[in-house]
Order: sequence, then structure tokens, then C-alpha cells
Amino acid sequence: MFKQEGQGNNWGDLASLGPTPAEDNRANTMVHLSSLLLKKYHGGYVVIRLALAGHKQANRPFYRVVAAYNKRARDGKYLEQLGTYDPLPNIHNEKLVSFNFDRIKYWIGCGAHPTMPVAKLLGLAGFFPLHPMTITEAERRRAQTELIATGTEEGLQERQKEA
Amino acid sequence: MAALGTARRLLRTYSRVKNVQKSRQMLARCGVRTLCSATQDKALSDNAKPQFTDPAVQDVLTRITGLDLQKVFRPIKEELKPPTYKLMTDEQLEQAVELATEQAKKLLQMPPVLPERKPINDVLSEDKILVDLDTAKYVFTDITYDIPHRERFIVIREPNGVLRKATWEERDRLVQVYFPKDGRKLSAPLIFKEENIKMVFSQDRHEDVLDLCLVQFEPDSSDYIRVHAATYEDLDKHGKYELLRSTRHFGGLAWYLLSARRADGLIVDMLKRELLQDAVSLVSLFHAVHPHSESAQEAASQQAAGADLLKIYAQKESQRSGYIQLALQAYEQLAAKSSAE
Repeated sequence: MFKQEGQGNNWGDLASLGPTPAEDNRANTMVHLSSLLLKKYHGGYVVIRLALAGHKQANRPFYRVVAAYNKRARDGKYLEQLGTYDPLPNIHNEKLVSFNFDRIKYWIGCGAHPTMPVAKLLGLAGFFPLHPMTITEAERRRAQTELIATGTEEGLQERQKEA
Repeated sequence: MAALGTARRLLRTYSRVKNVQKSRQMLARCGVRTLCSATQDKALSDNAKPQFTDPAVQDVLTRITGLDLQKVFRPIKEELKPPTYKLMTDEQLEQAVELATEQAKKLLQMPPVLPERKPINDVLSEDKILVDLDTAKYVFTDITYDIPHRERFIVIREPNGVLRKATWEERDRLVQVYFPKDGRKLSAPLIFKEENIKMVFSQDRHEDVLDLCLVQFEPDSSDYIRVHAATYEDLDKHGKYELLRSTRHFGGLAWYLLSARRADGLIVDMLKRELLQDAVSLVSLFHAVHPHSESAQEAASQQAAGADLLKIYAQKESQRSGYIQLALQAYEQLAAKSSAE
């Protein structure tokens, strides 16, 4: 699946590392190698983040939920696309988000970190617990709307007093 | 040297190596259009009401559909290609005709008749803290490739904080967005509205409407059932059964009329076109579907068969009994004349 950058390793010696066929049934003899292969960037790790899908249209964002190395450019080469996120609502007033939960589970199992926006979306979806920043944002917005409401009320009252 | 380094790293991480279970088997992705192929082995018992999918019922319905090759393979609007001519012997011609009949049978496979689906009203969680987070809803779809569309998770987070499952219409639309199907539109074509559908019926294009409906809607959606019911009603009113004969919709038409007990027009039409066998099998199917009606009990008591079945049905059940009896007499006279010759 991944191109072997740099050293040409002899993967034959890995065969001795797996569990012997004598123990266990066939289903568990597959050794998962991805966590070994992920250590190619020095100190790099895999993240699940939003990448702008660069449709080269101004003012029309569209994000891809993507598993990529930490060091890569935001819109650069990624390991795998795990979904999409469209921040602008459609005719039915919906923001469409898609997730490939099977593969997300795989990458999280491999040790990938989701970034905050992805964690927020997953929390809204119910896959993760709700992100604390989501709750904070909701509270802040409510405070803002209340402020505007009271502000307009006071303004109206003042005008009535003047008149 | 490099190999040593990787070997050391491998040995270090070996303790963390997880044995992964084999990913679950690639389910054969059930096409959403599961066409009836008579897999159940239920005998037509008197206790269980015969369903559309029973093999016996399917046999009868396929038989009355007929197999007019000329109509099945009539030219559909396709790309213009010059015709190909082949020189064949008589045997090869017979084989070609056989192949054509098999392909026609596949083309004539009946679309399923299912009861209407129950609406989904499942709420997964209500988070009052999230009220006023956003003015738009968030729709989350699961894009995993190998799950059937019926089992996909599609949830919606409303602006009032409620996390609920998507309704059937929303599900259809979103599945079409992420897994588009040929010919399906995101919003239903305007032809399915009441006024437009009447205009199309006046042009005798019931078959096109039914084909479009098959492509656009799920077989158990309310729109599908409504359009089909409207089409069948219109056909019954004007007696235009010939339009659907030898197409895949004929079985559905027959089943609908039988369930509604209004098969008289169809039987009269069959007798007019001298299809006695079809009429007889239709009546026997009627008796199977409604075993408690008078004519069914009469027929069972008399063990009638053939034209007698029709006479019993004409006397007991139908509203146009006079017409059926006249037609029967005419048919018998014809049969007598042809046997005399």
C-alpha cells in the first residue's frame, strides 16, 4: 500500500516475528505492519484533519477529512481520504458531512490523532463524546444573542423615553 | 546498517504489534433492487395467505404476462448504430431465438411488490447544551463501502441539539449523493405530480412512467406505491391492459387488481383476445388469494377446472357476469367450429 521511501529493507526477516501457525487460528496470524511503517518521518505522526479540496473557486470552501502525516502541507499528499465536509448549507439547510467510520477506526487504532475540528465534527455525529469547545461555543453564542436582544431592548426603551 | 536500525526498531515495537482480526467478509453488496427470484420454498397452503413472492404465484403471473418477442425487443431510444446482418442456418436461427427468449425472460423479471415502509422516528440523544450552536443541520453519513444501503448510519444533528436518525426520504437522497445510481435524480422528476401524470396517461405512456418510477424510487416507498396505484387505476378505468402485456409490469398489475378484487376488466379483456388459459389461471390465482370468497368455496366444493371455473366466478363474484358469460359462449362456439373443421 505505501511506497517504501529510502531504505530497501529485507522484509523476509519479519516472517519470524509473527505468531507461529501452531498457535491460534488463521484469522489472527496476520501481523499488522502499519504502525511499523508509520515511523518514516523523524518524530512525525499521522493526523486526521480537514484539507481544503482546492476546487480553485474563490469563496466556496469544501473540506476532505484526510489521514496524513503531520509534517505534510495541509492540502498536500495524504495517506487516505476518510470523508468530506461541506461547510455551506444546501437547499434543505443541511451541512453534509461524510465519514468512513471503518477506516477512521483503523487509523485511530494505528495511533493517528484527530485535530480539533475533526474531533468536534465526530462529537456532533455521536461517534466521539461531545467536544468541550463545542459546548463552550454554544454557550458563547447564546450569551451573544442575549446581549444583542437586551441591547436592542434597551435601545428601544431609550428612544421611547426620548420621544 | 539501515537494516539493523529497522530491525532494532521492529524488535522494540514488536511488543506493541497488534494482531488484527481479518476484516469482515466483503458482503456481496445487495443491489437495492432485489428483484423477485422465487427463493422461498413455501407451498400454497390454505392457512398462509399467498404472497407476491411465492413460486406458484410467480409462475401464474409470468404465464399471463406472455412473451411477445416483438414487443419486448422493440427499438428503445438508443444511440443510432447501423444494423448488423448475419447469415445463419435454420438451426442457428432457432438457437438465436432461444437465446432471445432467455434474455426476454430476464428483461421481464417482475419488480417487487412490498408493503409500505414504516417511518423512522428514532432519536439517539438530546443535548440541550447544544441549542443555538448553528442555524443549519449537520447530516452525517457513513461512507463505508461494503454495507448495504438499508443498514447505513445516517444521522442528523438538528440546531436544537437533537441527534436523530434520518427519515427515509433523506436517506434516499443522501445515498444518491454519495453512491449515485444511474438514472436517479436527487429530487423526484416533475412527471410524478398529479396533474402531469394525468397528461402522460392520456398519451398512453404508462409503461414509461412505470419504468421511470422503478428507477427513481425504492420499491417500498410511499411514492412508488402511489404512482403504481395511480397507473393501475387508470389502466383499469380505460381497459388498456394491452399496453402492459409482455412487459415486466403486467404481473404487478394483475396482483394489484386481484388484491382489490377488481379483476373483471382484465378477465373480459383476456376473453376478448381469446386467451382462455390465462383467464382460467387468473381465476384460480384469485381463489388462492381470497380463499374465503364465495366463488372460491364453490370451486373447491365442485373441484371445477377450465371454463367451469370461469362460469362459477362469473356467477358469484364479478359485476359484469353477463359479459363474461357471453364471451365464454362465443369462445365455446369458436372452439366447437374449429374442432368440427
